[in-house]
Amino acid sequence: MAVNLTPNAIAAIIAGDVNSKPLVQILDIKLIAAAAQPKERYRLLLSDAVSSQHAMLATQLSDRVKSGQVRKGSVVQLIDYICTSSQNRKIIVVLNMETIIRECEIIGNPKSLVEFDSTAQKPLPNGSLDHSTRVSNNRFNAQNPGQSVQSFPPTVQPPYQPPPNYRNHGPMLKNDAPARIIPITALNPYQGRWAIKARVTAKGDMRRYNNARGDGKVFSFDLLDSDGGEIRVTCFNAVVDRFYDAIEIGKVYLISKGSLKPAQKNFNHLKNEWEIFLETTSTVELCPEEDGSIPRQQFSFRPISEIENAENNSILDVIGIVISVNPSVPIMRKNGMETQRRILNLKDGSGKSVELTLWGEFCNREGQKLKEMIDSGSFPVLAVKAGKVNDFNGKSIGSISSTQLFIDPDFPEARGLRNWFDRGGKNVASVSISREIMPGGSKNEIRKTVSQIKDEGLGRSDKPDWVTVKATISFIKTDTFCYTACPLMIGDRQCNKKVTKSGNMWTCDRCNQEFEECDYRYLLQAQIQDHTGLTWVTAFQESGEEILGCSAKELYLLKYEEQDDDKFGGIIRSRLFNQYLFRLKIKEEMYGDEQRVKITIVKADNVNHSSESRYMLDLISKFSR
Amino acid sequence: MHVGKKVRAVVHVTQSDGEITTGKSTDEHQLIVKGLPHVSLMSYVEVIGIAESDQSIRAETWTNFGNTFDAQSYNQVCQLANGEFKGLFL
Repeated sequence: MAVNLTPNAIAAIIAGDVNSKPLVQILDIKLIAAAAQPKERYRLLLSDAVSSQHAMLATQLSDRVKSGQVRKGSVVQLIDYICTSSQNRKIIVVLNMETIIRECEIIGNPKSLVEFDSTAQKPLPNGSLDHSTRVSNNRFNAQNPGQSVQSFPPTVQPPYQPPPNYRNHGPMLKNDAPARIIPITALNPYQGRWAIKARVTAKGDMRRYNNARGDGKVFSFDLLDSDGGEIRVTCFNAVVDRFYDAIEIGKVYLISKGSLKPAQKNFNHLKNEWEIFLETTSTVELCPEEDGSIPRQQFSFRPISEIENAENNSILDVIGIVISVNPSVPIMRKNGMETQRRILNLKDGSGKSVELTLWGEFCNREGQKLKEMIDSGSFPVLAVKAGKVNDFNGKSIGSISSTQLFIDPDFPEARGLRNWFDRGGKNVASVSISREIMPGGSKNEIRKTVSQIKDEGLGRSDKPDWVTVKATISFIKTDTFCYTACPLMIGDRQCNKKVTKSGNMWTCDRCNQEFEECDYRYLLQAQIQDHTGLTWVTAFQESGEEILGCSAKELYLLKYEEQDDDKFGGIIRSRLFNQYLFRLKIKEEMYGDEQRVKITIVKADNVNHSSESRYMLDLISKFSR
Repeated sequence: MHVGKKVRAVVHVTQSDGEITTGKSTDEHQLIVKGLPHVSLMSYVEVIGIAESDQSIRAETWTNFGNTFDAQSYNQVCQLANGEFKGLFL
């Protein structure tokens, strides 16, 4: 195969030409495993058919060697590469390349490029060198077209070598030349000089610390560049003073001369193995003109189905269609301050939906806007950056101070969602991941009869048993059916502790607060019965409301304030002998000094006769003959 | 098999013209029911009456079950009630 590699490509790169995107061949690949590096690096031997030179392959390209896309003999086009000097040696680093021919015989007879130092070079004035350059070029060109490259003389004088007089002297001192801006993903400790241009996406608070070496202060900020690369930058002590005020979220900076160290994965969740540490010699320059090529934020959206398995309190980004917006409700926080809370439901293409809880200002701003959009019949796309996972009731997402909301944003993911929804996604049923209180999900129902609870000793192991029983309410204890509960919020849950009245006010021991109005919550003792037997159960607020069909407060007022026993009795009687599919939690607990099995109704569902029939028919078919 | 006896069946009405009502049984056969008043199409009606032939019933009592009915489950119950669990019913 006759392929022409770019003539003098190696010499050109050494001389500083990093823009010509030459075609070169890889003669050798060696895996370098140095102690200090977390990732393996490959060293290539590049050839332009005449000369060869080693080059380091950026780690983001390592996979190409591993997958065989790049191998010995491959002819590649260098797209993005730099050449730096280190201790009088040139180091080429390849940041991006394209494999043109994967397998190829070695072209030419490349020899290692000899480094020309000042003594060996003939001190020719500029003009002569140019002349010889031209001559050399012609010589090469004449022999180039179509012919086998074997006819080249074995050693070549590189035509682009700068005249030795200008080496390390004069206005072109290497140290002062502005460092080339490279993508954040190319940053590595072997870089030599680098500069990055990026936008601050997050700025941490300044933190003071005290350790064996004394006091100190530190702050970090996160950067995002136009290629989507992200990296954290950290400053200590005096460096904090230099840069803390200068760094503002959303602004773009040119940063250079920091040191690169491995990222601390415990705190740093950005996708970069390195972290920049600024020193007193580092430079941070504000770029006043708006750089549209650098996005304001980087998202990594997770499908709602994945959130089901996310860790409690983890921070993530999500995007979905808003399918419902509840009204804003005032919630009293533990410190006595009132705040607003609004619950929304988001749905995406994964078949799942999730509850999103907005707090504070989000309710009035984005929350209100979303409500108006829903009321007018549209279903907007909402992107959430930095929402917090909460596992109180299944998995839900709550807003935190650093959360950002984007309504109908112009992202490809938003457009994709919109298309999916409008073309039928709207009618696809989604299962909410925010409602399951019990483990295992609703599809793993274990059906038992009342007698099996006792016969099989359910609830006696160290974990509670969750079963489903079809049974009828046969009795409800009415002398105490509810308790007075604390309405204050602790975080995003209501306190619910029993409160006592002193004078006109109710007091909560846990919240240490007094308030005029308490909440009423069900604490029902009831009997359920099926064809095998009967048992006592407890039902709390949610299942109590399902069984009695009205709120505990209503019943309480009816019985104790209006004192209408007839009406009260009538309501209770009407709720007896209804059949439900009860989801029960069964656990043995200590009562005084004896172990008793406590059964709690977690959910009371109406029986769907059609599916129940099918269930029973299926059971019948399994009878052993 | 049950001609001349009192039977009970659920019919999915396909035609109703006063005297004669035509419908589909839960096992996909055509049934004629005599003596029903006008019934809306596609509704499910339970008919109790004498089987005049193996494809027609003279109705004595009837109940309209509406449009939602799990015909498949009903059919399975019929098969069980006339098959292996006959002893429970007759």
